[in-house]
Amino acid sequence: MSIELADVEAPLALFAEGMAGRYFHIAPTSEFAGRRLQLGTDQSALVSDTLYLPERLDAPDASAYRVLALQQLGHLEFGTYAFDFAEAQSRLPGLPADTGKQSSARMSDYEYFYQRFPDPTLASRVLHLCERIRIDALMLRHYPGIDRHLRRYHAHLLQRDPPMPVFDLTTALYALDCATLGADAAQLEAMDATGALAGCHAIIAGIRQAPGDVYQAADACIRLLDHLAPLLHQHQAVMPLPFDEELNGPATWMQREARLDDWREDLATLDRNLLAIEILEGDEAVAGDAEGLQDGELRPEDIHLAALQQERDTLARRVDMERSAIRDALGKNYPNARSFRYDEWDYLTHSYRRRWCRLFEQRLEPDANEDLHALQALMRRHRPRVQKQLELIKPLGYQRVYRVADGDELDFNAVIQARQDRLAGQSPDERVYSRRERVQRDVCAAFLVDLSASTDDPVNPVPPVYGPEDDDDELPDVGHTSPHAPADEPPPRRIIDVQRDAMLIMSAALEGIGDSYGIYGFSGYGHDCVEYFVAKEPHERFSRATLAAIAGMKPKRSTRMGPAIRHGARKLIDSGCAMKVLIIISDGFPQDSDYGPQRGDHEYGLQDTARALREAQEKGVETFCITVDRSGHDYLRRMCPDARYLVIEDVEDLPEALTKVYRTLTG
Amino acid sequence: MSEAMNMAQPQAHLHEEPYYLPLGDEVAVFRAAYEARLPVLLKGPTGCGKTRFVEHMAWRLYRHDRARSLEVPLITLSCHEDLTATDMVGRYLLQADETVWSDGPLTRAVRTGAICYLDEVVEARKDTTVLIHSLTDHRRLLPIEKTGELLPAHPDFLLVMSYNPGYQSVLKDLKPSTRQRFVSLTFDYPDLEREAAIITHEAGVDAAFAERLATIGAKVRNLREHGFEEGVSTRLLVYTGQLTVKGIEARRAAEIAIVNAVTDDAVVQSAIRDIVDTLLP
Repeated sequence: MSIELADVEAPLALFAEGMAGRYFHIAPTSEFAGRRLQLGTDQSALVSDTLYLPERLDAPDASAYRVLALQQLGHLEFGTYAFDFAEAQSRLPGLPADTGKQSSARMSDYEYFYQRFPDPTLASRVLHLCERIRIDALMLRHYPGIDRHLRRYHAHLLQRDPPMPVFDLTTALYALDCATLGADAAQLEAMDATGALAGCHAIIAGIRQAPGDVYQAADACIRLLDHLAPLLHQHQAVMPLPFDEELNGPATWMQREARLDDWREDLATLDRNLLAIEILEGDEAVAGDAEGLQDGELRPEDIHLAALQQERDTLARRVDMERSAIRDALGKNYPNARSFRYDEWDYLTHSYRRRWCRLFEQRLEPDANEDLHALQALMRRHRPRVQKQLELIKPLGYQRVYRVADGDELDFNAVIQARQDRLAGQSPDERVYSRRERVQRDVCAAFLVDLSASTDDPVNPVPPVYGPEDDDDELPDVGHTSPHAPADEPPPRRIIDVQRDAMLIMSAALEGIGDSYGIYGFSGYGHDCVEYFVAKEPHERFSRATLAAIAGMKPKRSTRMGPAIRHGARKLIDSGCAMKVLIIISDGFPQDSDYGPQRGDHEYGLQDTARALREAQEKGVETFCITVDRSGHDYLRRMCPDARYLVIEDVEDLPEALTKVYRTLTG
Repeated sequence: MSEAMNMAQPQAHLHEEPYYLPLGDEVAVFRAAYEARLPVLLKGPTGCGKTRFVEHMAWRLYRHDRARSLEVPLITLSCHEDLTATDMVGRYLLQADETVWSDGPLTRAVRTGAICYLDEVVEARKDTTVLIHSLTDHRRLLPIEKTGELLPAHPDFLLVMSYNPGYQSVLKDLKPSTRQRFVSLTFDYPDLEREAAIITHEAGVDAAFAERLATIGAKVRNLREHGFEEGVSTRLLVYTGQLTVKGIEARRAAEIAIVNAVTDDAVVQSAIRDIVDTLLP
C-alpha cells in the first residue's frame, strides 16, 4: 500500500524529537533544495536539522516511516558522522596505502577513506551498506520494539524486489543490498555465479551479531571490497555504477558539518590561548622584560605568538569557507524553528491543496539597536488610559454563593430553613453553607501582526515636491521620503512602528487585567516558507525579553495570511481557554509569490484567507481583522462579515482601535 | 464535608518505612531544617517523589528516631483552587441542633506537633497566605479568626510546602514574600539508573524491564513542551510496571498508564505510543 508522509508527519516529528532529544523538521525529500548535494526522491537522509523522507512510501503500513526515521537518527546516535580518517588509519591495518590521488584539506574524512581504493565510488557504496547493517543492528539492540516493523518492511521490499542471479559487480551489490534487508544467505549464495559473495555473508553476520562503532563498518568495508575485487575489472568494462551520489552523499556532508563544529571549538581554544598570552605579555612588557635583544630581533615568545596568530587566522579562514560550502551544499536551514504544514483553499478547484503550506515558527530576534527605554516610556504613558478602558470588562474577583453543600461560612437563612424543616418533620436540605467563588475571565487572545515589506512605508507619505529638474514623465515612488526633505529630520514614522507601539500598549494594558495573550508576526515567501514569529506566548510573562522581541518586529517579505491564521487559531485552540480571540493587524490584502495561479491575481489569497477565518470561527475562535490600508473595505468585506473587520483611516488610531475591538470581543 | 477536612492519609500513620531512594543530600538537609524548625519548600515536577520524600522524612523523624511519639505525624493537604483558609483552619459545623467547631488539618498539625505538608500550595486561594506567614516566621502562631484564638505552634510542628514551577500558571506564581520564608529543596526526575531502581522496587518488575520503562520516561520527557510540561512522572512508570505485574500486557499497560495519562492530544498520544512501542521488546 502507498503511505503518504503528510499523513504521519506531525506524530513522526514528535516521535523523532522524543527519541533524539532535539527537534527535527520532517520534509519530503522532494523539498530538499541543496545545490551541491542531490537526493533521490525515494531517498531518506538526515541533513542538518531536517529529516528528509520519501513523500510516498510503498510499505505494508505507516510504521515503515518510523523505521526510516529511526535509521536516520541512528546514524546520528551511533556515530556515523563522527568518522575520523586519522583514527581510521590507526585502527584499520587493512586500509590500503595512499594512492596519491588528488585531495584537498576540505574533503570529508569519508572522502579521504574512499580515495584509498581503486574505485572510490564503490568504496562509498560498500561502506554505506556496512553502515546500514551496523545501524540496523544497534537499533534492534537499543530499540527492540522496532524489530517487527523493520522485519515487515524489509520483507515487503524483498517481496517487491526479490534477489536476482549474481553475475557481475552490479548484481553482486544488489545481492548485498538484499542481504542487508535480511534475505537468506544460503539462497543468495545459491544464486551467485561469481563466487564473490561466499565470504561476504560472514562479514555481514559479524556486524549483526556484535555491532560496534563506525570503524567496524569501515573494517568490514575493506574486507568486502577484497571479496569484490575480482569483479571490479569486469564491472568497469561493462557499465557504470548507478549510485554515484553515494560518494558525496548526505553522510559525507554531515560528517563535514560535525567536523566544522570541532574546528570551531579549536578556533575558540586558539582565541582563548591568544588572549591569555596577550594578557601575560602585557604584564611582562610593563616589567621591562625585553632586555638583551638586538634591534629588530624577536623574542621566542613573540615568534610563538606570531605562529599562533597565523594558525588561528588560517583556521578561521578554513571555518568560513567550510561553513559556506556546507550551506551551499545543504541549502537553507531553520535551526531554531519548528515547522508545521497546513492545507490551503483553492477556490478555483473548490478543494483544499493538502498540506500545501509549510510554516516555520520561530522566536523574534531581539533588536540590539532599539532604544528599549523609549519603548518602556511609551508603555508607561499609554497604560493608564488603555487599562482603564479594559478594566471595564474585568469581573469582580469573588462572589459569595449561598446554599451550597460545602463552604467557609454557615448560610444562616439555609440553617433556619433546615431547622424549620426538621421541626416540621420533613427532610432538611443539607446545603447550609455559603462560600466565596472566584469569577474568572477565561480568555486567550492572539495578536497576529503583518510583517510584510510594505509595513516599511511611512504612515503619512510625504507629498512629492517637484523641483525644476524633475522629469514630469516619471512619477516618484509613493511612500518614499522626498529627496527634498531636510536631512536632519527624524526618519518618518512607518506602519511597522505604529503596529509595534500598538502591541506594546496592548501588552501593558492586558498585563494589568490578567488576560493571557500572545503576540505574533507573520511573513514569508512562497507556500513552503511561511514565517511565523513569536514575540510572546500566552503562558509567558511579559518581560524585558518580550519587549526586545516586539522591538525586533521588522518588515520582512510577503503576506500569506491563510496559514498564519490557521496556525494562530491552532495555538488558541491548544490553549484550552473558553474564549479565544484572534486579532489580525495588517496593512494590505493577502499576497505572496505563489498565492494563486498568477502573481497579480489577489483573488486566490483573498479566498484562502476568508476560508481560514471561517475555519477558525467554526472551531470557536473569534476573529477580527484590522487594517491600516484605507482601501481595505474593498477586500475585507469579502473576507469577513462587517462586524469582524475595521479599517483605520488614521494609522495612529491603531492602539485605541485595538482596545475597543478587544473590549467588544471579550467583554 | 470538605475534601480538605479529611486529609489525614492512612499512610500518614507511617508504621512502615516509606521507600525513598535519595538522589542527593536531601535527607540530611531536611533533617537539619527540621532540627532548626525551618519551614521547607519542595520544588519539582509532578510525580518525581516530593510527597514520598516528606512521608519518608516524617517516618525517620517520628518513627525511626523514636525521639517523639505521635499517632499521625504527617498531615497532607492537596491544595486546589477552591481550598480556602477556612478549609485549612477549621469551621463551625451544624450538628443536630447546634453548631460545633471542628479543627481543620492545619490546626490539628499545629496543635499536635505534626508535619503539615501543603502539596501544590500555589493552587490554594490567596487568603491562605496569611496563615502561612504567621506560622513560618519567629512567631509560629496560627490565628483562628472565627474562634478568636491565637494558637501557638507545638514545638515539633513543621510546615512543608511543595510547588511546581513548571506547570503552575504565571498568575499563580509563589510570591517572594512567601517564598523567602522557606528553605528550598529542588527535585527532578531521577537519572535512568536510579529511576529504574525505584521502578523495580515499587512495581516489583525485573531490572531489565524497569530500565526499559525508565528509558521510555526519559524519551517521553523530551516532549515536555507539547502540552504536558511535566513529562511522564516516575509514578506513572511505576503504575505501568504494577499493571504488568498484575498480568496486563506491557504495551497495553503503558497505553493506560502513560499514553492516556499524560495528554489528550491525539497527535502527541500517537507519538508517545510509537516511542513506547519502539522501546518495549
